[in-house]
Amino acid sequence: MDTSIFLVGLNHRTANVDIRERFALANHCSQELWAIPCSNNIRENIILSTCNRVEVVASGNTKTVDELLEDWARARNVSVDELKPYVYTYSHEEAIRHLFLVASSLDSMVVGEPQILGQLKKAYKQAASAKKTGPILNRLLHKAFSVAKRVRTETQVASNAVSISYAAVELAKRIFGDLSQHKAMLIGAGEMAELAAKHLLHFGIEELFVANRTFSRAQTLAEEFSARALPFESINETLPKVDIIITSTGSTDPIIRARNIVGVLRERKNRPMFFIDIAVPRDVDPDVNGIDNVYLYDIDDLKEIVEENLSSRKDEAHKAKKIVEDEVATYTQWLKSLEVQPTIVKLIDRHERIAHEELEHTLRHLDTSRLSAQSDPKAVKEELQNILEPMLQAIVHKINHEPLMYLKGESTHLGSIERINTIRSVFGLK
Amino acid sequence: MISHELTSWSIFIFFMLATLTGLGGILGRRPALQRAGCILATVAFLLQTTSFFLGFHKSFEGGLSAGAYLQIFAWFTGLVGLVLWFKLKQRTALIFAVPLCAALFAMSLPYMEQTIVLPASLRSSFYVLHIAFLFISLSLMAVSFIVSCLFLFLERRIKSKQRIKGFMEDMPALSVLDSINKVCILTSFPFYTIGILSGLIRNKPVYGATFSGDPKEIVSLIIWALLAFVFHNRLSASWAGKKPALTMICIFLLSLFSLFVVNTLMDTHHTFISH
Repeated sequence: MDTSIFLVGLNHRTANVDIRERFALANHCSQELWAIPCSNNIRENIILSTCNRVEVVASGNTKTVDELLEDWARARNVSVDELKPYVYTYSHEEAIRHLFLVASSLDSMVVGEPQILGQLKKAYKQAASAKKTGPILNRLLHKAFSVAKRVRTETQVASNAVSISYAAVELAKRIFGDLSQHKAMLIGAGEMAELAAKHLLHFGIEELFVANRTFSRAQTLAEEFSARALPFESINETLPKVDIIITSTGSTDPIIRARNIVGVLRERKNRPMFFIDIAVPRDVDPDVNGIDNVYLYDIDDLKEIVEENLSSRKDEAHKAKKIVEDEVATYTQWLKSLEVQPTIVKLIDRHERIAHEELEHTLRHLDTSRLSAQSDPKAVKEELQNILEPMLQAIVHKINHEPLMYLKGESTHLGSIERINTIRSVFGLK
Repeated sequence: MISHELTSWSIFIFFMLATLTGLGGILGRRPALQRAGCILATVAFLLQTTSFFLGFHKSFEGGLSAGAYLQIFAWFTGLVGLVLWFKLKQRTALIFAVPLCAALFAMSLPYMEQTIVLPASLRSSFYVLHIAFLFISLSLMAVSFIVSCLFLFLERRIKSKQRIKGFMEDMPALSVLDSINKVCILTSFPFYTIGILSGLIRNKPVYGATFSGDPKEIVSLIIWALLAFVFHNRLSASWAGKKPALTMICIFLLSLFSLFVVNTLMDTHHTFISH
């Protein structure tokens, strides 16, 4: 049984986005259109094609990698030479390790990001439905999923926000808990603020208001987020209604001052407010944070959280890699057992066959009348010994025939010392 | 009749197990252990409730012991924790209330035989009402104290931009803690008021005056005034978050002072002769 595993691929480290686009493979097509056909050299294969990586995992033999590259290049109408500079190749244990690292999001651009596992599961599902997987890859992928689960539950690699916008929303959840009963207001526009708004919507924020100096821009954003557009001048009168305020205007002076917030808070009956100030220069007077039940985080505070989270993820990644190593060892052992097990079966079969043949031979030539004629038990015993001894000798000779040939060097090119040592260790001779 | 020694130890063991499991679950961030802690606390509470039905109070000759009163206080605290768990789906409140139950049980064990002899004039339904309502109120204050401490700790970290990590990540949000605190304040005040009133009404026939200037009465009235103040401010919504949390911590500490210092060390008609 051929149980070698290979992985060829390119990712965000080896190729830029243009190259990744150029060599992307479709992993959502039918059996007939599958980019990497199965053959004698490629027994099974799975294509993982995402925005950050294109990888093919396959089981096969020594020719598998070359054939994989040829098929990949053909599918993209390029030559293998064009593809090769960006591609990494892993085989056997290294391939297994790499796949486990990918599944656990330890090889991702943002370590611990959750999408990759879902993408891998989808890729596996599609390969399985296109009948491109078999016992080796089925087992490998299921193992990869369980490794990813272990990494997530036993380490903190996937916890804590690593983007400013997500960190802001996480903080909002620490203050308000369930966001579905809270309202937010986006003042100004900007990539980070819009992302934060998206996260808030994802967590089911009750209502979102958008205010911008240019009202038409506010309307466009409001449409995008299913929110309510507000004229910039109505910010102050809306403040008592909202719990979370994200500001990112280009204003050179603060647009929200501490003295105004005291009144707003009274109107809100002291319900907490959370200001997320992503603007530089800042939009919210820093003194706002000194008011009871009001929390203010600016871009630097959020950046600090993200940096700390990233470094803690890196620490956790070390722990996670140890888990991956354990699991690689377990899987490799299983793979090896696939090679050892048939040998064990054949060895036992051979010995059983020799024993049966000799038994049959003995029974065929057994003179039962001579045995039954004996009335003395001692004589019966002697007669049996005469019959069984040649049979046992024949079995021993036949079983030892091949090892003796090996020892004499007739069936191998190994040196005599090596042969003697092997036989001594196999049979436990001192 | 049941043996209060046996039941006390059994319930104490369950409260201890619940404490270790629940707090272990929180510190180790293991939800399954936290749930197990809550279940063990429920078992302890049910065992104690069953012991009441089986005649726990009758097992003391000549009246309840000092230890029995502490155990009743523990029962009310457990009840408040369980109600918060079932009604608000907040197991953290129960997990943090359980160590208090275990501590009250531990304190009660050496005093199980120290009978508190009530004067005949006090043996009335007013006394039962007085004790029961004050204990319910105290239990609510105890839970409020725990929740307030947690709120102030987390609020300080968020305000000062310190990281929320480890077990703190699993703690309820500030708004949730504030809501629990609000529930505790709004319910403990009426109970405390009825408890105090029932005591004062009984004062006239027993001690000759409604307000006799007894140190216990003075401290209780201070507590009532503070509780009334925080109750009013919460109800009128002019207070939320930090201020009520700080006040509730002070109120509970003052209640403990009243219970353990005034009752035992001061000359008050709440110091009953005990054997």
